[in-house]
Amino acid sequence: MGNFSLLDAGIVGIYLLLTIVAGLAVRKYVGKVEHYIVAGREMNLYLGVASLAATEFGIVTCMYTAQNGLKMGFAGAVPGILQTVAMLVVGITGFCIKPLRDAGVMTIPELFENKFGSNVRWLSGVVIVLGGLLNMGVFLRTGGEFLLITMGYNPAEFATTYRLEIIMSILLLIVAMYTVLGGMLSVLVTDFLQFIVMSISMLLVTILILIKVGWGNIISAVETHLGPKGFNPFLMERGWEFVAFNLCLQFAVVLTWQAVIQRILSAKSTRVGKLIYVHTSFFFTARFIIPGLWGMAALATLLPEQIGENSLYAMPRFLSTFLPSGLMGILIAGMLAADMSTDSAYMLTWGGVIYNDILAPIRKKHQWSEKKGVLINRTIVALIGLFLLFYGLWYPLKGNLWDYLGVTGTIYLSSMSVLLIACCYWKHANNWGAMGSIIAGAVFPIGFLILQQLPQTAEWAQQVGPYKSGLASYAGSALAMIIGSLLKIALIKDKASTTKGPKI
Amino acid sequence: MKIFWLATLIFCIVWYATMTLYVGIKGLFDIFSMLNSIRNSEQNSKIS
Repeated sequence: MGNFSLLDAGIVGIYLLLTIVAGLAVRKYVGKVEHYIVAGREMNLYLGVASLAATEFGIVTCMYTAQNGLKMGFAGAVPGILQTVAMLVVGITGFCIKPLRDAGVMTIPELFENKFGSNVRWLSGVVIVLGGLLNMGVFLRTGGEFLLITMGYNPAEFATTYRLEIIMSILLLIVAMYTVLGGMLSVLVTDFLQFIVMSISMLLVTILILIKVGWGNIISAVETHLGPKGFNPFLMERGWEFVAFNLCLQFAVVLTWQAVIQRILSAKSTRVGKLIYVHTSFFFTARFIIPGLWGMAALATLLPEQIGENSLYAMPRFLSTFLPSGLMGILIAGMLAADMSTDSAYMLTWGGVIYNDILAPIRKKHQWSEKKGVLINRTIVALIGLFLLFYGLWYPLKGNLWDYLGVTGTIYLSSMSVLLIACCYWKHANNWGAMGSIIAGAVFPIGFLILQQLPQTAEWAQQVGPYKSGLASYAGSALAMIIGSLLKIALIKDKASTTKGPKI
Repeated sequence: MKIFWLATLIFCIVWYATMTLYVGIKGLFDIFSMLNSIRNSEQNSKIS
């Protein structure tokens, strides 16, 4: 066991109790679907900042950014800086998010219907939900691994005992309880509480690391293990590709990641939505550099045999013996907060897209009442909880986790960002281009993975690398939008001129 | 580059601590104002 004591258990218990009480207290305010999905569009600036920051920082983020710090040094924090830049640019200019919020829609696909028709809305909903749910499927297990290793348990035990599954199932049950009943209102209130707990714990741990491990030791560990490339991403192998791909990825996330966009759509006004982006922007650098520093501290203090084969476990292993009792409890509570806020917001987000877009044809036919709409939303969120429980926790995931995350993320983000930009700013964009864009966005990353698996093409795929295939996905998706849209216009013009029909 | 990363880290910690304090106070008011608005709009829609 590490330094986790009864005092720490008490701190975690108090935090969990407060979250449940706060989450359940606001369920009585949910009267309409709009309250459930976008909090009646009454969210103001500071609540929005807390909610966006809490949602976009989960244990899975902490684990991978710490791993980036361990394997790439400070250069691993570059995606965070790029996301800050993307968020600032979009927040200040209102690029895409202004027309999106002004349209008064509840989801991105809803906006697409006006421009591209109901089929594209439905298909976009399917792509968003598939990408989102499959991504989210791995959150719970990774979160459980972090919590148990930090508490001092050995990862070798995970396969033989059901400790991880039981703890994370209880956690999911708590999150599902308040999310199902209170929807976005419960998510916002608990996000606020979770932001405070998470931020305090992250700041305290970082300051303690700087005092005890020391900046000088961290710098020399990065220099010894990684050299100059640990400070400069362009010196890494495929450094330019890494930066270019992450620039595209971070802009796409800022524009179309439904969990992020839902904060804009729940905001009181377009101006508040833009300000939420501007005020939260620097948090995205913090969310990479702070856990990255924890990973580098693990590099500076642990022996190679302590780090072991799985570098993902190095940071929690380091924290399990580094943190004193009391602060350990605050960290565990903080990381539970980070995970719970992400899980609740994501469950609600994908649930909202299923209800609003995938079920749109059925809704239009049957004209559900507000009460029935809220009930159906609650059922969908509960079903997503069940999916997470069985797929993410009890079902053993096969294959490489990073590849899995890369495929699911890029399939969705590349095409949806192209569709959104075209929908807002290109008057010639149409459903042919949109369909082509969705297909092209999926073909490149899936094709890359298949080529990587086939023995005949594996070497070639290795030479191409994941960043080029990711960049090709964005370029291919944009090209398909342009070619598809222009092709439709040309064919209709051609048809109109041969039949002497009306001009378009 | 080391100075850049040190400056970024220090700015990060100071900014994050300030933001936590600021959002912690102002966000609480936002919660009450949001719940009040929803309650009032619900009451108004029931009356009308």
